[in-house]
This record gives sequence, structure tokens and C-alpha cells, in this order.
Amino acid sequence: MNDIDPRDDRRGNEDTAVLTALAHLVDELDPPPTDLVQRVQFAIDLEDIDVEVARWVRAGSLTGVRGGQPGTITFTVDNLTLMVNFTATGERNRIDGWLVPAGEHTVEVRVSEHASATTTADDGGRFVLADVPTGTTQIVVHLVNARGERGRTVVTPTIVL
Amino acid sequence: MREVRTTGEHPPWEGLDGTERHAACIVAARAGNRQAMDVLVAELTPLVWHVARGNGLDRSTAEDVVQTVWLALLKNVDRLKEPRALVGWLVVTARREAQRTWPSQKTELPLAPEVADQLKSETGLPEDAALNDDRDHRLWRAFGRLNARCQELLRLTVLAGRSEYRAVAEALAMPRGSIGPTRGRCLTVLRGFLEQEGGSR
Repeated sequence: MNDIDPRDDRRGNEDTAVLTALAHLVDELDPPPTDLVQRVQFAIDLEDIDVEVARWVRAGSLTGVRGGQPGTITFTVDNLTLMVNFTATGERNRIDGWLVPAGEHTVEVRVSEHASATTTADDGGRFVLADVPTGTTQIVVHLVNARGERGRTVVTPTIVL
Repeated sequence: MREVRTTGEHPPWEGLDGTERHAACIVAARAGNRQAMDVLVAELTPLVWHVARGNGLDRSTAEDVVQTVWLALLKNVDRLKEPRALVGWLVVTARREAQRTWPSQKTELPLAPEVADQLKSETGLPEDAALNDDRDHRLWRAFGRLNARCQELLRLTVLAGRSEYRAVAEALAMPRGSIGPTRGRCLTVLRGFLEQEGGSR
């Protein structure tokens, strides 16, 4: 509770009452999603902690595409764009992805409570993982430069598929 | 699931609370204790969430921002100058990350604080249909009309008023038992909106 001293100012009693009601509403109506802590803990459980975070680009039409519906999601960080399309095949997902700029980058798909699946993008930046389990999912891209040398690591926030 | 790694029987943050507890977790995390980071995530995710929501993000975007902030801490854990200042770092990082999404990809220009003050929460607040109490209903609508700065401040006030968030009150200089001039102004505006919503009976 907010133990604000009502003597603090002349509207103190009223403010205290409003804050107490607000505290209740914020808890009741707008708490963090119950699985968010768990998802963050999964997202940061990485071998390499020196990572760049790609941000989810939410075009208007995509807003609300969450939780199992097939669709394309775009992530960006700096000059890198990662597009991924998820197609549900029963309990599994087919993931078609495209990295720009292209390169034979290593792509790792982490799914909570499952082994990671790893593949390498082709020289056009495209990659496919045909059979990925559903669940809390994070994509980790180990970038290579034009000479094939290992560079930055980029990760996405987790998404629930 | 990750194996819980402990260093002996008692983790170094055990028995500590507030700022001391966070600092002990940061020091342990730097030494490679992954459980320490999980403790921070479990205890401070509500703080990061309410900063994101208070800055006008819808719930889905707020979830992404929360994750981005924690990944950024992971990357910067060795560079954090003052482990005791973790709460302040999280608030500033969450706010900056939230503001980055404000233009909703229409423009890359950051919003000036004056604009931020005018920013109405377009994304709205969660469904209030479940509210039976008419006064709660009006209060929630009035709260949704506040500018982003006041929404964030009042959410943080609510958190800082709880004993488990003592560190929030310390970091943000919100002494318990005092409202302070800025919060006082936000509450005055809120009371005004509440009256417009149909009185404050």
C-alpha cells in the first residue's frame, strides 16, 4: 500500500485515496503477463552474452499476430533485417527465413525445453528449418562477413509459437 | 530447463533486500552466476513493464521492450559503473527503448519532451469491462487520459510504495510518505479528469 502521509499537503487524503485505488487497478488490470519472467529468463540464457538485440518491426497489419497463427515477422537491428515466416504443421513449425544483407550466416532456433535447431543461410540469405517444435522461440544469428569470418551475434526477443 | 547453479549453500544476495540485494546480484552475475540474473529478472520485471506501459506502449510491444531491456543488461553487466544504481539504469533504458517505438516506424525522429507530454495513450489501457465498480471504471479511464510522463510517474509511485520495491523509491528519490510537487500536479490533473468522467463520489 502507499503509506503516503495525508498531512503532506491539503489534498493529501484525497490523493492517498486515489493512489490506493490506482494501485489496485494497476495490479488488477495491467500486470505483466504471467509467463513474461519465464520468457525473459529463457531469452537471456545464452552462451554468448555479447549480443545485439533485433527489434520486432510491427507493421499495423501484423499487430496482434501472436500465439500460433502463421505469419511473417520482421526483425531489424542496425543494417540487418531478418524476416521469418512460420507455418504450423501440426505440433511443429516450418520456418522460412531471409537475412539481408545476405551471407552464409549461421541461424540457430532456440525453443524452450527443446534442443536448438541450427542451419546455415544460403548465399542469398535464405534459410529453412522444416521441423521445429512449438513453444517459446528465439532466433540467434551468428553473422559472417564476406570472407566467411565470424562477426556479431544477433538475437530476437522470444516469441510464443 | 536450466540447472540451478549455486555457489555453496547460500547465494550472496540471500538475506539482503532493496538496493543491496540488486548490487549483490549484479556482482554475482559478473562472476558468471546465472541464477543471479534470474533473480533480478523475477523481481524487477514488473518495474520495467510499468515503465514501458506508462510510456504508452501496448501490451505486446511492452513485452518486447521488457525483453530488450534485460538482454541489454546482460550485454552491459560488466560495464554498469555502479551496481547499486541498477534500478535507475533499468528505468532509463526502458524509457529510451519505449520512446524508440513511439513514432511507430512513421519517422525516426525522437519526440521532444514537450511532445511526449502531449502524447495521449492511443494504445489505451486493457479492457475495463471487468470492472464492476463504477468509480474504478471512471478512475481507469481518467488515468488513461494522462500524458505519458504522469502515467509513468504514477505507476512508479504505486510500485515504490510497496516494501519490496524499496529500491525503486530510493533510486527515483520518491521518499515514502511524501507525494512531491510533480506527483502532486499529476494527481491534480487526474482528479480533474475524474470529475469530468462523472464526479468523484
